[in-house]
Amino acid sequence: MKPLITEQERETAFKFPKKQEIIDKQRLPVRYHVEDFDVEDRPRRFLEAFAAILKHTNYRFVLDHYVKVSAKCSRCAVACQIYLATGDDQDIPCYRSELLLSVYRRHFTMSGILRGRIFGDPGLTDEQIQEMADSFWNCTACRRCHFECPVGIDHAIVTHLGRYILSEIGIAPRALVVSTREQLIGKTGNTSAIPVPALLDSLEFLSEDMEEEKGIDIPFPIDQEGAEYLFVPAVSDFLMEADTLMGNAAVFRATGDSWTVGTGYFDGINYGLFYSDHVLEKVVQKIEAEAERLKVKKILIGECGHASRSAYFFYPTFCGGKDALPVINIMEYTYQALKEGRIKLDPDVVTEKVTYHDPCNIVRSGWIVEQPREILKAFCKNYVEMTPNRRNNICCGGGGGTVSIDEIRPYRTMVGGRVKADQIRATGAKYCVAPCANCKKQLRELMEDNGIDCEIVGLHDLLYKAIIFESAKKSEVIRGENSRNHMEEV
Amino acid sequence: MDAWIEFGRGPLFRLCFTLMVLGLARIAVLTVIGMVEALKKNEDKIVPWRELFNKTFTWLVPVTVLFRTRPVYSLVSFLFHIGLIITPLFFTAHVLLWKRSVGFGWFTLPQSLADYLTLTVIVGGLLLFLMRVLYGPARAISRKQDYVWPLLLVIPFLTGYLCVNGSISAATYRWMMLMHVLTGNLIMVMIPFTKIAHCILIPFSQLVTGIGWKFPRGAGDLVIETLGYKDRPTWVEKPRLGCESMDRVEREADDK
Ligand code: SF4
Repeated sequence: MKPLITEQERETAFKFPKKQEIIDKQRLPVRYHVEDFDVEDRPRRFLEAFAAILKHTNYRFVLDHYVKVSAKCSRCAVACQIYLATGDDQDIPCYRSELLLSVYRRHFTMSGILRGRIFGDPGLTDEQIQEMADSFWNCTACRRCHFECPVGIDHAIVTHLGRYILSEIGIAPRALVVSTREQLIGKTGNTSAIPVPALLDSLEFLSEDMEEEKGIDIPFPIDQEGAEYLFVPAVSDFLMEADTLMGNAAVFRATGDSWTVGTGYFDGINYGLFYSDHVLEKVVQKIEAEAERLKVKKILIGECGHASRSAYFFYPTFCGGKDALPVINIMEYTYQALKEGRIKLDPDVVTEKVTYHDPCNIVRSGWIVEQPREILKAFCKNYVEMTPNRRNNICCGGGGGTVSIDEIRPYRTMVGGRVKADQIRATGAKYCVAPCANCKKQLRELMEDNGIDCEIVGLHDLLYKAIIFESAKKSEVIRGENSRNHMEEV
Repeated sequence: MDAWIEFGRGPLFRLCFTLMVLGLARIAVLTVIGMVEALKKNEDKIVPWRELFNKTFTWLVPVTVLFRTRPVYSLVSFLFHIGLIITPLFFTAHVLLWKRSVGFGWFTLPQSLADYLTLTVIVGGLLLFLMRVLYGPARAISRKQDYVWPLLLVIPFLTGYLCVNGSISAATYRWMMLMHVLTGNLIMVMIPFTKIAHCILIPFSQLVTGIGWKFPRGAGDLVIETLGYKDRPTWVEKPRLGCESMDRVEREADDK
């Protein structure tokens, strides 16, 4: 099929940022960095890890099913934004999952083992492992292909498992592994390595800012025992998404519900969703521990797709099934508050053209589809949809953890996000709302590298501009005073 | 020759049909067992049943979703499947055969409709084959059986059609009929062992995927334990997830 990218773009996108000697030493021609690991005897260790995982998890019956049911119709090809961009056969979803399914068939099913014996097939090779290590991290695990599969295969679950097995033999992007290590056993206990004092400082700073702008005291409650909600955003929000956080706080100020940030654990990011069920479990349980410490009633996840999915779907999985605390996303909360008339929004503040990008992790399951749209339509006059949208939306191109791998940025912005860039360009919007830390980072880089003039914002960033507090002192006065003070100081 | 045909649609048919039913039943039962066991292993038994059933139904009658991607191919495939399922089951002569051996029959298709459906299958099968050969991505993922199946499936339909409608000599008729019966039986036997098993598996697919995304608690630790990683001087020895290594790192930090 004809690729969307030009030959030149392909060259840049697929260039190796690594030194050749490292590639040779690790015998791993992949574009992301990997910490050193044992390269000897890889196929055997891969199979051992595969066997151990099959033994203790539920993947076996899924693979069994997929191996039998796959009809190879190839409808998934055009659903995949990676394939559309590269046009390479290796990027067809069905091709990708076959990499692992064939290993399963050969080594873990009766007929495969027999056939192997009879035909003297030596089985899994080093090259196959290399191909998997490359291919599984080209996929953004967006699950769009699942929705085109007539026989119901979810290629993303195969990718997910493939990455898990690879990580068990030491092959996982260094960026993710290092962050996770800090989060699980490091001093600061979060992926961005923010120490608690720094966190408190920045929250205080934000509160001051908000008081200045909105003329009303908007606090970030810290360590409030017995609060209704434990607020867990993607930790990077504390560093980079001040506006989003301010919007979150403003909503709570308006509704008056009790919420809290916990200094024991405040990071929603869970890279386990991308490469290891083990990490996934440990991280989710950190949230549980903090929720228990503060005796909160609900978990509230900030604007982040993968953080929301990993908590919403896996909190019950790893923290007590039906009895686990409910998990909600902040947009659900805001939507509810808006419906109940507990927040007031000024419809004249945001007049520019606004569009909405659905983060894969919250939209594919049909969980958060209309809520953000309703919120946006409540105060954005000029709201447009991109096509396709909702559950059929196209991934930003940085999903599945790839956005955190900085060394593959050219790949992400030229290949992964290619279709998305065209999609956003076509809307001609001034603001693109992307309520997800990962999508935001990826889309910003995408806009930059593709020269598109569109500002990527969070939903609460815009909402913060428009929210009105009736009890507030006249904001103009405040602003005037402040600037006067400021000038005197100068 | 007649004896062969009779054998083909008598004892041989019964054998092949039984094998098919048993084979498919085995697959279905194994799938259900897989799901039940997975649910048992999980602490989390929350499954979005309604959503999964909805999805299952949507894809069993995929008129709302099928045509948004590769519409021509999808349409051909859709019609092909309809003909493939309905014609053998409701073709008058087939139902009569059933009546003869098991004593009861059922609703049958009017001859003209059966003819049209048969032609759809023949043309559809050939088109599907061609599209597989000509469409790059399809070629890239095809195995041998993917090329063989559409052609193999066409044979009993073609021979059947010729037997009913063709002006052919009695000898050719017999040959055709024999081919018809034998390929029909062959197909039935092969169904459970090839990709055509999807005929029984599709209703389970969405459930399997839905349950597959639910993981058992504590599996990660067990995997590490099974792999014996705690003592391994490889990368895992670097600070890692297991609580043990966590303790160790803390201890080392304290020592310093
Ligand atoms: S999950 Fe997304 S990126 Fe991966 S193969 Fe499917 S459509 Fe492509």
